[in-house]
Amino acid sequence: MNSYEPAAHEFASVARQPGLLTLTRPSQSYWQDAWLRLKKNKRALASLYLIIALLLMTLLGPWLWHQDPTLQDLDVISQPPSFGDTALVVADPGLWAGVTADTATLVPADPDGKLVLTATARIQTVGAATTQYVRVSWDSVPGAAFYLVYRNDHAPESGEDLGLPLGQTLAAAELSFEDRLQLREQDYWYTVIASDEIREATSFTTERIHVQRAITATQARERLLPAPLGATVALQSHPFGTDSLGRDLFARIIEGARVSLFIGIVAPFLFVLLGTIYGGISGYFGGTVDAVMMRVTDFLIALPFLLFMILFRIGFGIGPGESGIFPMLLALVLLRWEDPARLVRGQVLQIREEAFVQAARLLGAQPLYLIFRHMIPNTIGPLLVNLTFSIPMAIFTEAFLSFIGMGVAPPTPSWGSMSNDGLKSMLSSPHELLFPAIFISLTVLAFNLLGDGLRDALDSRMRSRE
Amino acid sequence: MLIEARKLRKYFSLGHGKQVHAVDDVSLGIAEHEVLGLVGESGSGKTTFGKTLIGLYDKTGGQVVYRDRELPQRYQAQDYKRQASEIQMIFQDPYSSLNPRMTIQEIIAEGLLIRDGGNLGSVRDKVVYWLERVGLHGDHLSRYPHEFSGGQRQRVGIARALIVEPKLLICDEPISALDVSVQAQVVKLLGELKQSLGLAMLFIAHDLSMVRYVSDRMAVMYLGSLVEVGPADAVYFSPQHPYTKMLISSNPEPDPVHERQRKDVIVSGEIPSPVNLQPGCRFAGRCPLVEPHCRLETPMLRTVAANHLAACHLL
Ligand SMILES: Nc1ncnc2c1ncn2[C@@H]1O[C@H](COP(=O)(O)OP(=O)(O)OP(=O)(O)O)[C@@H](O)[C@H]1O
Ligand code: SF4
Ligand SMILES: [Mg+2]
Repeated sequence: MNSYEPAAHEFASVARQPGLLTLTRPSQSYWQDAWLRLKKNKRALASLYLIIALLLMTLLGPWLWHQDPTLQDLDVISQPPSFGDTALVVADPGLWAGVTADTATLVPADPDGKLVLTATARIQTVGAATTQYVRVSWDSVPGAAFYLVYRNDHAPESGEDLGLPLGQTLAAAELSFEDRLQLREQDYWYTVIASDEIREATSFTTERIHVQRAITATQARERLLPAPLGATVALQSHPFGTDSLGRDLFARIIEGARVSLFIGIVAPFLFVLLGTIYGGISGYFGGTVDAVMMRVTDFLIALPFLLFMILFRIGFGIGPGESGIFPMLLALVLLRWEDPARLVRGQVLQIREEAFVQAARLLGAQPLYLIFRHMIPNTIGPLLVNLTFSIPMAIFTEAFLSFIGMGVAPPTPSWGSMSNDGLKSMLSSPHELLFPAIFISLTVLAFNLLGDGLRDALDSRMRSRE
Repeated sequence: MLIEARKLRKYFSLGHGKQVHAVDDVSLGIAEHEVLGLVGESGSGKTTFGKTLIGLYDKTGGQVVYRDRELPQRYQAQDYKRQASEIQMIFQDPYSSLNPRMTIQEIIAEGLLIRDGGNLGSVRDKVVYWLERVGLHGDHLSRYPHEFSGGQRQRVGIARALIVEPKLLICDEPISALDVSVQAQVVKLLGELKQSLGLAMLFIAHDLSMVRYVSDRMAVMYLGSLVEVGPADAVYFSPQHPYTKMLISSNPEPDPVHERQRKDVIVSGEIPSPVNLQPGCRFAGRCPLVEPHCRLETPMLRTVAANHLAACHLL
C-alpha cells in the first residue's frame, strides 16, 4: 500500500491568501434587495408599469384628451370606436317638399275595378344619401293607391324580409320619402311597395343605397368647423366609441378612473393605517387587552357590509340615485380594517418574542424604541402586501356598489356605473360595457399580480433562512 | 456568588388549566469569573432557566439575587436598563437574534446608543474594534444580517452583547447551530474574551465534552429540575445521577479506543413533556434503577462529594 504524501502547497492556509475571505457581492439593504427580486418577476413588473400608466392616465388624461366627458352629442349615440373619421357637410334638412307625380300621368284603375300592377317603381336618391337624411323617390306605378317604404341592412331574400317599415305615403301622387331614422355609415336596402287600396295586389322593388357620413352646416358651425357645403371635414375621434348619450367613452373612462382609483387607494390606506394602530396596540400589550380587542374584530366581521352601506347613505341623507362617495369610503374604512389589524397583531406577537427584540430589551430599550426600531420595520413588508391586495378589493367593491346603484350616480362616471349603463345596450353596442369592464379587470388583475410579486420579494423570513 | 437563583420556577400556561413546568425550583449560583456549564436534553428547560434568571421571562416563583440585590420578579423597561451593563446574553438561534432590517454596525452599536446616546459616527471606532475582535472585517459594517453565515451572525451577537462590557454573559448554545470547525473557533473566542474581560458565564450546550472543556462547574437539568451539579471534571468522569450517566454514555467519545472500552448505559425512552407533573422522581419513567419509592417521593439534591450534588434516592 503506497501512502499519500500531501504536497506543501495543499496545506497552505486558505485564510492567509489575501482577498479570499472578503465578500465580493455589494451590500444591499432590504428594500434594494426586494426591488431586485421584484424586477426579476416579469408579471409583477408589467403590472407595476400598468398601474403607473393608469395613474398617469388619471392625472394627466384631462390635459391630453380634451373632450368633455359630460358633453352629450345626440348625433353620435352609441357609436363604436372610431378614429380619424371624416364627414360631408350638407345643408340643414329643413322641410322637403318631396316629389309629386303629375295627376295626368296617373293611370286609372282597371275598368273591372281590379288593380293590375304592370311595372314596379324604380328607386333613385335625391341628392347625396348621408347619415343626416336619405331622400328617395320612385316612378309611379299605374293603379297604385299608395306606397310603403322599408329599409333593411342586408339584401332582402323574400317579400317577408324587407326590414324596418319606415312609413307609407298618403296618396298615390306622393312619390318620395325622407328617411332620418338613426342612419349609420353603411349600405342600406330600400324597398318600395306599391299597393292598392285594399292591399290586395302589391309589387315591390329594392335598391341598394350607400349612406355617407355627414353633418349639417349648423352642426359644423356648432363644432367650430368652418366648412362650406359639400366640403369634407375631419370629425372628433372616439377611440373607445360613445355611450348612449353620445358622450366620449375614453374621456369618461379617464374621469371614472378618478373615482375608482380614489376609493381604491384612499380607502385601503385609511383602513390599513387604522388596522395597524389597532393591531399594534393589541399585539404589543397582549393578554387581556389583546383578548378584548380581538373579540371586537370578531364582532366586526359579522357585520353585513351592504346593510351598513345603506345605513351610512341614509345617515348622510343621500337618496337613491344620488352620488355617495363619502359613505362608501366610510363603510370601507370602518368595516375592512379588521384584516390588517389581525395581520399586524400576529406579526407583533411573533416579533415580540424574537430573539433580537429580547436582545434589545436586555440592552435597555424603551417600549417606543422597540416598536419603531424593531417591530414596525419588520411588519411593513407584509403590511405593504396586504395593502396591495386591499386595493383591488376596494376598487371592485366600488365598481360593484356603483353597478348596483349604491355608489356614485350620474352624471359622475365611475367604471362601475359605466358598466351598469353599458349593460343596457350590451347586445347592440357591446363596447359600452366592454371598455369599463376591461379597465376594472385589468386594474384588479394588475394590483393582484403586483401584490403577489411583492409578497415573494419582501418575504425576508424566507430569505434569511435560505 | 455573582448571581444566584433560589428555587427559581417558571411555568408556562397552555390554557385549559395545563401548565408546562419548564423550570421547577432550580437553585443554582454562578461565582465571579466562573463558567457554569448547563446541559440537558432538548426541552429540559435550559433556555427557560437562562432567560428567567436574567428577567426575560417573568418568574413564576423563587428569587434571583445579583450581587446581594434581589432582582425584580417581573421586569419593566427601567429594570433592563439598570442591568444592561451587567448582564447580557447570546441567543441560541443566530438567525432570529439579529434584526434583518438593521446593518451590522447598527446592531452592534445598539447597546451603546441606548445607554449613552450619541450617533453611529461617535461610536464607530468602538464598533470596529469589537467587530475585529470577534473576527469580522471592518468593511462588514454596513452589511445586513442575511449576507452572513450562521457563524458570522453568532459573532455579531457576541460583539453586540460584549460591547457594553457586562459582568455576566448567558451563552445559550452559542455553538450548536454552527459547523464543527466553526464551533471550535467560537469556543476559543469566548475563552479568550472570558480571560481578558473577567467574565462570568452560564454556558448552555448539548455537547458534554465541549461543556467540560470550557466550564469550571457543570449542571445537569432534566424536565425542568436540576439533577446534578458539581466540578466539571467530576460530573463528567464520575457522574452520580443515573440520568447524567446516561447522557455521558450517549455522548460519543472523540477517542475511538476509549469509546470502545466504555461501558454503555442503555439510553431508552423519549424525554416526556413536563406538563402537569406528578410528584416523585421525574426520571422514574426512564431510569434503569427505578424503585417503587422513586415514584412517590421527589428526591432532593444532596452532597455526594466535595461541591458535588445530585438528586437521586439511591445516593
Ligand atoms: N414560550 C413558551 N410557551 C410555552 N412553553 C414553552 C415556552 N418556551 C418553552 N416552553 C416549553 O418549556 C420546555 C423547556 O423549553 P426550553 O426551550 O427551555 O428547553 P431547552 O432545554 O432550551 O431545549 P433546547 O435544547 O431544544 O433549546 C419545553 O417543554 C418547551 O416546550
Ligand atoms: S430517584 Fe429513582 S428513578 Fe430517580 S434517578 Fe434515582 S433511582 Fe432513578
Ligand atoms: Mg434552548
